[in-house]
Amino acid sequence: METILVVDDEQGILEALADLLREEGYRVLTASHGREALERMGELRPDLVLTDWMMPVLDGPALIERIRSEPSWKDVSLLGMSAVDVGALRVQYPGIPFLQKPFDIPALMRQVRKALDGRRASAG
Amino acid sequence: MSTGVPGLDAVLNGGLVTSGVYIVVGEPGAGKTLLANQLCYHQGRGGARCLYVTLLAESHARMLANMRDMSFFDPALLPEGVYYVSGFRTLEEQGLPGLLELLRREVRNHNASILILDGLVQAQEAAGSSRDFKKFIHELQVSAGLARFTALMLTSSNGPTVHPEYTMVDGILELRERTLGVRSWRELQVRKFRGGATLTGVHTFRISSDGLEVFPRLEARVRRAQPPAPDANRVHFGIPSFDAMFPAGLATGSTTLMLGPPGSGKTLLGSSLLAEGLRRGESCLYMGFYESPERLLHKLAAVGMDLDGAVEAGRMHILWQPPAECILDVLAHQLLSTVKQHRIQRVFVDGLSAMGQAAPDASRMGSFFAALTQELRYEAATTVFSLETPRLFGPVLDVPLEIGPSAVAENLFFLRHVELEGRLRRLLSIFKLRDADFDPSLREFVISRQGIEVQPPFNSSLDTLLTGLARHASGGHP
Repeated sequence: METILVVDDEQGILEALADLLREEGYRVLTASHGREALERMGELRPDLVLTDWMMPVLDGPALIERIRSEPSWKDVSLLGMSAVDVGALRVQYPGIPFLQKPFDIPALMRQVRKALDGRRASAG
Repeated sequence: MSTGVPGLDAVLNGGLVTSGVYIVVGEPGAGKTLLANQLCYHQGRGGARCLYVTLLAESHARMLANMRDMSFFDPALLPEGVYYVSGFRTLEEQGLPGLLELLRREVRNHNASILILDGLVQAQEAAGSSRDFKKFIHELQVSAGLARFTALMLTSSNGPTVHPEYTMVDGILELRERTLGVRSWRELQVRKFRGGATLTGVHTFRISSDGLEVFPRLEARVRRAQPPAPDANRVHFGIPSFDAMFPAGLATGSTTLMLGPPGSGKTLLGSSLLAEGLRRGESCLYMGFYESPERLLHKLAAVGMDLDGAVEAGRMHILWQPPAECILDVLAHQLLSTVKQHRIQRVFVDGLSAMGQAAPDASRMGSFFAALTQELRYEAATTVFSLETPRLFGPVLDVPLEIGPSAVAENLFFLRHVELEGRLRRLLSIFKLRDADFDPSLREFVISRQGIEVQPPFNSSLDTLLTGLARHASGGHP
C-alpha cells in the first residue's frame, strides 16, 4: 500500500483530503505544517508528500528544501498545492508539479497517481 | 496608516495608528473579510508584509477566489506581500497560549507589519474565561507594541456588539446591514478609537468590485468655519423678463429653493440658470433623478437651450441617478466631489424630494441639507434645488420636506398652475430673496420654442391666484 503524507494548515481541507485518499486505498499521514510533516517522515517514510504552500511554522518551500536535502528521502515524490497562482510557482520550482486550489477530486487523483507512477518509473 | 478603503481614512482621522490593535465586528456577510483584504493588498502594494490568519473562516482558496474579482487584488503580492495561514488547529490543540505563540512567531518569520486575525469569535469561545480572553488581547497588544505590527481582529457579533473584553483594544469598528421594507444598505460606525477624533455617528458604505467604499456622514465632516463671503458678482438666469424681477441677481454661492407641482416648469427654469452660466463660460452641473441625460438635453433643446456642445466640451456636467436605490451620503459625495473636481460654479439639483427619499431616517434631513448647502457655499457654487409639491391646485401648499424651506435656502421661488379664463396657466413668484430687492408680484410665464418669457403682473383684480383657483377680489370667479 502506498503512503501519502498530506500537509495543510487548514483543518477542513486536511481532513477532507485524507478521507478521499484513504477511500482510494492509500495509507494517509497528516500534518498541519512543515515541521510536523518532517516529524511524521521521521517515523514513516511516505511515497508522496502532498503539501500546501502557505503554512505556519514551516511553509511548503522550506519543507521541500528539507526533503530534497535529505539523501534518504530523495525518492519521495512531491506534489504542491496552493491557493495562490501556481503558474509562478511552477516556474520558481521546476520539477515539482502543482495543484491549483480549489481543485476537483478527479484532477487531484490524477495528479497523485501521476506523481506516484513517476516515482516508480524513475526507481525502475 | 492608510486603510486603502476610500472614505474610511477620513472617518478615522487619517487611518489606523501603527502598532494599534483593532476589532472589526459585524454579522457574517457584513464585509469584514473584504475590508481586511483590501487593507492588506493596499499596504502590500506599498511594500508592507501582511499576515492573514484564519480561525475556521472560509478556506483560503475560497477567500482568494472571491478576492480575484476585486480590483484591488494583485496575485503578484502572494505570498510575499500577503500570506495566509490557518491558526485553527493550533487553537484547538493548544488554546489561546498556542495561538498567541503562533501569531508572534509567524509575524516574526514573515516580518509582517500587519496582522489580520479572522474569526476572533473562535478564540473567544476557546477561552476558558473572560479573564483568559482579556489576557490574550492584552498580550497581543504588548506584542504589537514591541514588534511594531498593527493587528486587525475580525469577529462576528455574537450577543452584544461591544463585549467588555473588547474595550481594551485601540479601536472598534462595527459593520452592519440595515433593512427598511425591501431596501437595504450598509453602515459603519466607529465604536471606539484611540488616537484622534474620528467622525462620529453612522456612515454609509457600499461594496462593489472595487471593495468597500465609505461615505462619511456629511454632517460629521462639514467644515466648522464660516464659508467665505460671496464676491461682488451676482448670478442671473439669462431670461431678461425674469431677471428684471430681481435686478441685483442671486448672490454667488447662494442657495435657492424652487417649489412647484409637476409640469410647472421647474426643470426649465433651473436649467436656464445653467445655460446662462455656460454662456458666460462657467462650469455647470445638473443633478437629476427622473430624466435621463439624453431626455433632458432633448427637452432643453426643444425650448432653445442647446447644451450638447457644452457637455461635449466638458463644461456642462450631468449626474443622473435613478431614485430607486439612492443612498443619501453617496449622492452628497457625488455632488460635492463633482463640484470640487470641475470647479463648478452653478448647480441645479432637480428633485430635492428624491434626495429626501434616499434618507431612511427623515429626522436627519434638516442637518443634512444645512451641511450640504454649507459645503456648496464653501465652493462658491450658486445652487438651485427644485422641490415638487404634490398638489396641482388647492388652497393648501404642501412642502414635502422635513424641515422648513428657509433652513435649506436663502432664496425661495414658487411656481404653480392657475386656472384662469378657461385656460391653465403657469404662475411664478418670488417669496424670498436674501440681501436684494425683488418684485413680489405674481407673474405668468410662458414656455415656447424660444424659451421662457415672464409676463407682466396679473390683473390686480384677481385674488387667491396662489391657490391655483383665481377669483375676483370682489368675490366672483373670473
